[in-house]
Amino acid sequence: MNKKLIIFSWLLICFACQKDPDTSKLDNDFPVLTDHDTSANFNTYTSYYIPDSVLVIDGNERATYWTDSRADEIIGAFVRNMNSRGYTQTLEKEEADLGLQVSYIEDAYYFYGYDDPYWWWGYPGYWYPGYWGGWGNWYYSYPVTYYYNVGSLLAEMVDLRNGAQRADKTLPVIWTAYMSGLLASSNSINIQLATRAIDQAFAQSAYIKK
Amino acid sequence: MKKIIRSIQIIALVLTASVCASSAYGQAVSPNLYFNIDWQLNLPVADDYANRISGWGMQGEVGYFLTESFSLGAFIAWHTNNKYIDRQTIYINSSSAVTSDQQHSIYQLPFGAAFRFTPDRYGLVQPYIGAKLGANYSEVSSHLNIFKVSEDKWGFYVSPEVGVTIFFSPEKKFGLHLATYYSYATNKSRVLGYSLDGLNNWGVRIGVAF
Repeated sequence: MNKKLIIFSWLLICFACQKDPDTSKLDNDFPVLTDHDTSANFNTYTSYYIPDSVLVIDGNERATYWTDSRADEIIGAFVRNMNSRGYTQTLEKEEADLGLQVSYIEDAYYFYGYDDPYWWWGYPGYWYPGYWGGWGNWYYSYPVTYYYNVGSLLAEMVDLRNGAQRADKTLPVIWTAYMSGLLASSNSINIQLATRAIDQAFAQSAYIKK
Repeated sequence: MKKIIRSIQIIALVLTASVCASSAYGQAVSPNLYFNIDWQLNLPVADDYANRISGWGMQGEVGYFLTESFSLGAFIAWHTNNKYIDRQTIYINSSSAVTSDQQHSIYQLPFGAAFRFTPDRYGLVQPYIGAKLGANYSEVSSHLNIFKVSEDKWGFYVSPEVGVTIFFSPEKKFGLHLATYYSYATNKSRVLGYSLDGLNNWGVRIGVAF
């Protein structure tokens, strides 16, 4: 009887550790996180420019650009939402008030190596302030935390009009959208979920409106 | 922090097992000693963060009768409650928002002093009233897709309790322990847009006494 009691006690204690919730009950939709510069007046901007490709961060040291029909659907979702909010797309970035840069993280291997001061700093071939003009660095008015997760779609909106007036030549990022969901056994993105997540990013950002 | 909690659990495990192993039964060491090992059903109340009853927890208690009716002892308990939250948009602060479904989780680990008043400690059926005072460690977390956002806190813990110990023989070597309790801890947590100002629980315990 003594031994039974001791064994019973041990079993009770051993089986009573913290129980993590069942994450298999969670749906497959992307979690959508947005943040923005609360001092930005989005209704003062008129036009925007978005590159025709999605930058892919993969297992290679040099980033690649994604330009097929699936990328077009992603870019198209941003265009559709921006247009519906009253902004006009331009064909030249020099003519735009706003710039939108879209990235997809297919592999996080090289993502971890560049984290000072921001995760893309020094990443070969990635979006850099100079892409948009004569800027030397990014400027954020809000804390930026990205989860370096495979399968993440990342969008950033930069202020091309007011950024030029900044003495330190930093380019303000005024809106970010982070959409993520690991995609089963493949690193290929689910376009339907991605476009739905883009729509949701705008839905929860009602302040983006001309 | 996980290591500290694990250490506390291991210490409780070793103490319980050591006492059991060295004494076989509390009554054999001293007629004034008692031990309880209980399985718990716990329901967080007063807020809806994870207000789903669960059986993922247990309690261990040891006490010594200082007088015919009053005992003083020590206890440790731990419990996890989880709750699924449908997909919704949460505005975290003035600039950021997140949309996702979630699994909410509250893990609690109170420990400290246990007081009991047992009017008839010589009967086969021994009802009692008691109170527990001590510290409470908590981890409040939200699981979104593959992400986990959590905050761990310490607080003051108080818990009134009523129960009964039912022995099966006049020797009182082994018995059944039943109890119900309410507990309050001062732990305050903020996870995503959710705020918990204190942790309130109601529950029942079923276990063994010796």
